[in-house]
Amino acid sequence: MRNLLNFLAKYNNLIIFLVLEGIAFYLLSTSNNYHNSRIVKGFRGLASEVEKKVSNTRSYFHLREISKSVSRENSSLRTTIERLTRSEDQLFFSVTDTILHQLYTYSPAEVINNSINRQKNFFTINKGRLQGMSIDMAVASGDCVAGVIVGCSGNYSVVMSLLNLDFRLSARLKSNGYFGSLSWDGSDYRHAILSEIPQHVTFGIGDTIETTGFSAVFPEGILIGTVSGFEKTGGDFYRIKVALATDFKKLHFVNVIGNLRKEEQLELEKQFQ
Amino acid sequence: MINSILRLGLIFILLFLLQFLLFNNIQFSGYVNPYIYIMFILLLPVEIPSWLLLALSFATGLVMDLFSGTPGMHTSATVLAGFVRPYVLRVISPRDGYEPGVDPSMMIYGFKWFLIYASIIVFIHHLALFYLEVFRFADFFSTMLRVILSSLFSILFILLLEYIRKGK
Repeated sequence: MRNLLNFLAKYNNLIIFLVLEGIAFYLLSTSNNYHNSRIVKGFRGLASEVEKKVSNTRSYFHLREISKSVSRENSSLRTTIERLTRSEDQLFFSVTDTILHQLYTYSPAEVINNSINRQKNFFTINKGRLQGMSIDMAVASGDCVAGVIVGCSGNYSVVMSLLNLDFRLSARLKSNGYFGSLSWDGSDYRHAILSEIPQHVTFGIGDTIETTGFSAVFPEGILIGTVSGFEKTGGDFYRIKVALATDFKKLHFVNVIGNLRKEEQLELEKQFQ
Repeated sequence: MINSILRLGLIFILLFLLQFLLFNNIQFSGYVNPYIYIMFILLLPVEIPSWLLLALSFATGLVMDLFSGTPGMHTSATVLAGFVRPYVLRVISPRDGYEPGVDPSMMIYGFKWFLIYASIIVFIHHLALFYLEVFRFADFFSTMLRVILSSLFSILFILLLEYIRKGK
């Protein structure tokens, strides 16, 4: 209390000044339309600026939730599209058969462990047998090839990455449809090699490489990458260097693609081998 | 004491009459608008208590505002001038200090001292007043020009009035 009184005695001059200025400003802001509107405008501008900053920060903290929900939504939309667009020339079908037109299912997953610097790279996703994953399902990151599931536990799956010397994929040039075999040469995580394209085929740097769908693992037309260079090898084939569209260093949200009729296709094919 | 209060009251009334009848009607080229009523703050005794100085500044500004229809503008500028006056006096104090019971006038402390004293306070007052009037920084330099020109004219007229007072 005494300190307070001392303080007041010491600064009485400043306090009176501030009080009187306060009264003057009150008069200024209430009695003059111009000054009043300027002050109100100023405060409103300040408040909206702060509000914007706060909401920006808040939305940044929610980004993880948002991207999760977006990826979930993406998968369900893909499933719906698959169901709606794959119409076949079939005149009669049961109206209760909801997966009649559907060939592929999509479900989202998150990469929880990843490597790119070995010769045989694998990554792990956070869904397993209990969530409907099974061996030989395809994994795509966005619209681009990422790998194939090689092992499942209850809640996790191990995926053989495209960056694995054992990985083989049937791929084709989008421009003219010639297909070959895609593999990784173990050197650079941004590039893979497409071989078995014959030398009479014409193509250029930048042409798109996509999947064929022959293997019954990947659907047709999933992006792999673009041609970044090629050389002729013995035996009349090109050896094409493909710049991969997927950046394996920042792989996070992936889609697992299951083929509903794979068994049927493989069984039929087995009969003639 | 009574004598000095009466004298200051007379100065107050005379300054406001001059301000309203003469100086408010001067408009040199739209820039210059001398406010000489601030001279009342300059002429108050040196040893006046600061609360009384602030109260008188407030009253002066309020009267000015009431008659010119701009509530708050002159008041806040004049209160600011009253607030800085003790500090200005301390900074520019003569070598042997201020004599007790004497007004800060040109007659006693000399022309140069009074010029500095009046210039600083008038400039601070005008600076606050003109920026409060436009109330934004968009026309910063044209406002500054008005502040400087008006300050020059106000200081000129205040020196003139002080000469007349001295001669009396």
